[in-house]
Amino acid sequence: MRRSILTGVVLVTGLLVLLDLMIVNPSLHGAAGAVNELLVLLAAAAAVGGGATLAAHHARTLAAGDGDSTASIVLLVGMASMLVAGLRPGSSGSSDPAVLWLVAALLAPIAASLFALLFVFLLAAIRRGFALRLRETSLMAGAVAVVIVLLLPIGGQAGDWLAAGAGWVRDVPLAGVFRGLLIGTGILVAVSAARSLVGLDPDDD
Amino acid sequence: MPNLGEFASYLVGLVTDAVGSSSMRLGAAPTVAILLVLLVLLSLVARPGARWVASDLGGLARVGRKMALAAESGADATVSLGSAGVSRAASATDRFQTLAALPLLGHVADAAARAGVPLRVTTNDPVAALLAQATLAAAHQRTATPERASTTAVEYVGEGRSAAAAFALASAQPHGVAAVAGGLAEDALLVLDGVLGDAEWSLAATASGSQAAGPLLSGDGSLVGPAFFQAEGEIGRGGHARTVVLAANRLIWGTIGLLLVGSLLAWAGAPQVAAFLTGR
Repeated sequence: MRRSILTGVVLVTGLLVLLDLMIVNPSLHGAAGAVNELLVLLAAAAAVGGGATLAAHHARTLAAGDGDSTASIVLLVGMASMLVAGLRPGSSGSSDPAVLWLVAALLAPIAASLFALLFVFLLAAIRRGFALRLRETSLMAGAVAVVIVLLLPIGGQAGDWLAAGAGWVRDVPLAGVFRGLLIGTGILVAVSAARSLVGLDPDDD
Repeated sequence: MPNLGEFASYLVGLVTDAVGSSSMRLGAAPTVAILLVLLVLLSLVARPGARWVASDLGGLARVGRKMALAAESGADATVSLGSAGVSRAASATDRFQTLAALPLLGHVADAAARAGVPLRVTTNDPVAALLAQATLAAAHQRTATPERASTTAVEYVGEGRSAAAAFALASAQPHGVAAVAGGLAEDALLVLDGVLGDAEWSLAATASGSQAAGPLLSGDGSLVGPAFFQAEGEIGRGGHARTVVLAANRLIWGTIGLLLVGSLLAWAGAPQVAAFLTGR
């Protein structure tokens, strides 16, 4: 019974949104808008709840003395700093200079340095790939080597040939693979979305 | 602006005109028989449970055994729902991948519940965390293991793709079974390496085309592009359905082979075997 009610709610809201997409009707648009607003409210409430749970979890970790205490302290101090900067009396919220400084001087460089590790982790992933499946990873590494050769900064006639080859690789095989992936993904996203909207799950098959 | 009523009456008129000007060519019983055959064929093709494809996408059929091995060795299992979330500022296709990952999470959670392996799910979106909690609860309900629910947990790791990547790297440890399923972006390799790491068995799944290389390089099993969505129909199928589909596939390949050989023989001037067999 509980599952039927949930499926019914999913079905009705899904059809409402679909109908609003296809038919121009003020009442229908209003109802679909209300559903969307409820979704935004749910997301906002879940975000606040998620943040509070995160803080509570790390406070419990500190109180119990188990786990990584240093990481918990860093996280709680970071959260408190951002909240104080954005919510203190006289603050202009997310556009406050203190908040902007915290983002620009701390968060952005930390994230950038994290992503700078990508090269190292790419090499680690290739090593793991070789350990898992030699043939596919060899093919991938071979293709990488070819592309590196094609992009070598060489002038003259040889450089022109390499540049033309690089352009061909980008426009024909690479673009073909990506379009194929996109088309396949698009079709199956549509199928999965339709199944979600009418409340079907694997148990119904 | 087109009038919906006029459009509907036009459609109804079209159908009634077509029915009125038609008659049955074969009579009632043969027509019903042909329609039944068509219905059976359509149901075989359209229903994911019995479609004419039998494969083990991403090695998902191995999850149960790998989880049992993890239970024996006292290892745990972990699943990351990617870094796109459901209510985050990511593209709709990316966020939809989080929803598509939930059946995969259910599949892993079922195996973990049966084997009694502690399972930890991480996500950087609070709404996805709620959905994951419901999926884990459903898994314990399906497997009748409510007493093991306390060993499973869903963790919200904070907002942002960099938060997901940093958490994955900071909490890297050997797991029995590890999986990353969902939308990934520039953080893909960091999340994959951190979560999958030195797991005994790992699954990497994403439909993000630009990150296709990550799952191929990092996971023992990988689902890339459309395969990620296709996997939902593959999991949970009974052994008998798989056997039937495998048998049907062999039958189809045999028929195709016979047609090709027969055509080649006919082209080479051999006697007409088909005509001999059918008596024509």
